[in-house]
Amino acid sequence: MPGHPDARRSFALTRRAALGGLGMIGVGGLARGARAEQEPLRFGLAMPLTGGQATYGQDQVRAAQWGLDAVNAADGVNGRKLAAIVLDTQADAQTGIQAVNRLVSVEKVPVFVTAWSEVVKAVAPIANDGKIVELSVGANSPEIARLGDYVYTTFPLADVDITAVAEYSATKLGKKRAAVLYINNETGITAAQVYRDTFTKAGGQIVAYEAYDPKATDWTGQILKVRLATPDIIHIQGLVADTPQLIAQLRQLGLTQPISSYSAVYNPKLIQQLGAAANGVIATSLAPGTEDSPAVKAYVERWQKEVGRPPNGLPYTQYLYDAPFLVAAVLKSLDSAKKPITGENFRAEMLGIRSFDLPLTGKLVINPNHTVKKPVYLMEVKNGAWSELAVVS
Amino acid sequence: MLSPLILIQILWTSLATSSCFVLFALAFALVLKVNRIFNFAQAAVMTTAFYAAYTVVGLASGPGWAGLLAGVAGAVAMSAVLELFGFRALRRRQASSMFVFIFTLIVSELISYVAMLIYGTWPATIFPSLFWPVTLVGTIAVSQWDLMALGGTAVVLAATFAFLRWSRTGQSMTAVADNPDLAEFYGIARDRVFLAAMLLSGLIAGFSMFLYGTRAQVQPGSAIELLLFAVAATIIGGIGNLAGAVVAAFVLAIIQNGSVLFIPSEWQGFLLYAFLFLAIVLFPRGVRLPQRKRLVRRTPAPALGPAES
Amino acid sequence: MEYLYTLAILMALYVILAASFNFVIGYGGLISIAHPVFYAIGAYASALLARDAGWPIPLAIVAGALVALLASILVAVPSVRISGDYLLIASIGFQLGVLEAIKNIGWTGGAGGLTNIPALLAPGSNHAIYVALTIAVAIATVVLLRWISRGPYGRAMSAMRDDELAFAALGRNALAMKVAIFALGSGLAGLAGGLYAHYFRFLAPGQFDILQSAALLTMVVVGGLRSTWGPILGAIVLEALPQAITFLDLPPSLLGPLQGILFTGLVLIFMFARPQGLIPAGDIWRGRKAMATDARRA
Repeated sequence: MPGHPDARRSFALTRRAALGGLGMIGVGGLARGARAEQEPLRFGLAMPLTGGQATYGQDQVRAAQWGLDAVNAADGVNGRKLAAIVLDTQADAQTGIQAVNRLVSVEKVPVFVTAWSEVVKAVAPIANDGKIVELSVGANSPEIARLGDYVYTTFPLADVDITAVAEYSATKLGKKRAAVLYINNETGITAAQVYRDTFTKAGGQIVAYEAYDPKATDWTGQILKVRLATPDIIHIQGLVADTPQLIAQLRQLGLTQPISSYSAVYNPKLIQQLGAAANGVIATSLAPGTEDSPAVKAYVERWQKEVGRPPNGLPYTQYLYDAPFLVAAVLKSLDSAKKPITGENFRAEMLGIRSFDLPLTGKLVINPNHTVKKPVYLMEVKNGAWSELAVVS
Repeated sequence: MLSPLILIQILWTSLATSSCFVLFALAFALVLKVNRIFNFAQAAVMTTAFYAAYTVVGLASGPGWAGLLAGVAGAVAMSAVLELFGFRALRRRQASSMFVFIFTLIVSELISYVAMLIYGTWPATIFPSLFWPVTLVGTIAVSQWDLMALGGTAVVLAATFAFLRWSRTGQSMTAVADNPDLAEFYGIARDRVFLAAMLLSGLIAGFSMFLYGTRAQVQPGSAIELLLFAVAATIIGGIGNLAGAVVAAFVLAIIQNGSVLFIPSEWQGFLLYAFLFLAIVLFPRGVRLPQRKRLVRRTPAPALGPAES
Repeated sequence: MEYLYTLAILMALYVILAASFNFVIGYGGLISIAHPVFYAIGAYASALLARDAGWPIPLAIVAGALVALLASILVAVPSVRISGDYLLIASIGFQLGVLEAIKNIGWTGGAGGLTNIPALLAPGSNHAIYVALTIAVAIATVVLLRWISRGPYGRAMSAMRDDELAFAALGRNALAMKVAIFALGSGLAGLAGGLYAHYFRFLAPGQFDILQSAALLTMVVVGGLRSTWGPILGAIVLEALPQAITFLDLPPSLLGPLQGILFTGLVLIFMFARPQGLIPAGDIWRGRKAMATDARRA
């Protein structure tokens, strides 16, 4: 058996190990006992590697791999390597269930990381039943906080960033009349309600509140209603597939008000698609940008150098880069205290430590009510580029 | 809320954006009428058209007209393949309509996976920007895209109906749509007419997909959803009735958009299905599917008068 | 083990779905693709009755099946009356409409899905019990449908399929038979839905869309229309194959689309090379017309 496998290839190797595991469980047991000292500690990573969401999922997995490499290049877990078992969920409930079943009952990991609300919800029963910790990194449905004892999120849920942007608009930007356009699905509906509640509580008035069908390509009716209501700011809660067109139509129909949205539109392509019409658009980001942290700057530069482009969904990838650090910290603590590494112990230890300092996203505090709160970075398109407008804690 | 200006704006913009869907419906209705096939594979044709245009303009930075040509050529080619290798073979084996329907669904899925493999799943537009210059006519915003779309659609509609009415092939299509067996008696080669109908449908679908892709983002799976509207319009407009499908598509689009003025906007998506359901329920006579009429064999009537000899 | 149990349960459920779908479209000759929506209706009805109305779960599952059955009658009666082909359009519209409604109504969990559905088995109990349960129901379904289609009713179905006019002329009620077939098939789908809901405990409308219809169609077509073992084989193969592919360790950017291409390609090849499916229908009751067509095709 050669020495420690090359860190960069550890991903592929552990995957192969996972895949061969089923057939070799009986045979491997004996051999494993002898190599227990060198064997890496494992956690699961269930992400969409294929399918419609793969463009995001693959970048997030790559970021997690980089984080893992960094963890191992440092001390690992008290000298032991940390490895991830990566399985595909296709962002689909059924596939996700199969993947997590493998992680929990075949690979027997104490903790796994996953994303995409549908998958997070679908696999929650497995985590709760098997007493394995599920870390949701990136999904923002508020329901995630109520999915059970073993389901935690390291990414702020929908209320956090929407509350920040609503309050900022009402107080700092002095807007009194807001119009809300939201996509008629779970993300849109819940987030729009949060915006409405926060904005009115901060002293503003919601003058228009219109939903649109996810399949819509023409929003004239809603836009005209909004125009009639004469708002001074328009908030859009949509998806990356429809928001650019919606903004284009808004501008074409003569609405010049500033537009705010959330992290889904925070990507450079928006500016390319809208040209001058993108100026003034405000988006939220839940992770520090290149201007806030030299570590993030180096990270983005590394993407440009190694992959030739910035990552899709930059803030989400930052959270995934940090996930191995969190896992390593908890495992380190368990190992130092000589406690057996089980899901139950992981959970208890994680809640015990509670506050983590993560390289690309800063300080993270995990609340007992299964939520986290983070500063929200408000980004604005100025002169054809994204720049930071404010930071709201 | 119902001021005339608002209504005019909605009318104008809905008219313009519905133009693509009108053409999708026309293409679908044509194949249904002549070939008697629910051509869900039109989604495959539309996907091919979009990605062909996208490759030329978006990836290779070619001019717009080259993209249009590529899109239409792609669509026509895909239609030809479908007809020659798919529908014709199934016809030879006298496959049931259920079988053909499954075939069209599966082909659409296959093409969307191929597109996913080659182009990834990120939403794409043909031109890098989806912002079109706008002029104000009075207070009505008229975008350059609107004019382009409406103009193009009008031309295509006129050309199609003229073709069907006055050209030999077009007339053959109508004949075959009415009674395929009888048409063959008159020397019309059925297979050729079916191919012509598929090619024409591909042309129309390719053109309209290009239009659509210059205004909205498209992903490999988008075409199937766009097609659903076309199917609904075809059914509501009356199967076998091309003009009906066109009118239905316009009306449906305008109603869908205007509806937000009258009903809560959450129910906008549901409206289409409500219309479809009403159409089905309120037309008890059937928006009838053309039955394959069997040739009635007439036996010569026995002579009832005195024999000649 | 859990992994294999889940796989087995899914296969059993798909056997129920494929067999009942085969009954509707193969034996009944009814062109409908809306089978997944009755699966959904059964699942949602059972889940809501158990979670929100406090019904005991076995009762809820049965109730779910009945709701699906009644819903199918509602769809079938107006549309079948006109022409069999018309059912296709009605079924597409019905499926999409119901899914749209589910996404919009709050108490179904909306587009985000229904969570925290109570489980049939007590926590900590061995999931192998559920495997046994679903397999038992699957076997019962197949046996029941086979018994029906091999018996006198099956003969009548075959006659109706071959020549509906003659069938009516003999004094049989084609409409009632079509509705009955549709109802039975859909009710069984609803039963499968209830079984699904109380094991996986999460439902989302996206799981029951047109793609599911295509998957079921594939199972039946590849397996073999109108045969008993065909849908079973189709269901098992088409559930096991994707899982097997994931063990091949292909690079992710290739895996997803390739999997899809493999599948749809497989179906297309089957449809042209072997249209009768893996297991051709051993039809006892086929009419002369169908026999002649077979001879021509051979």
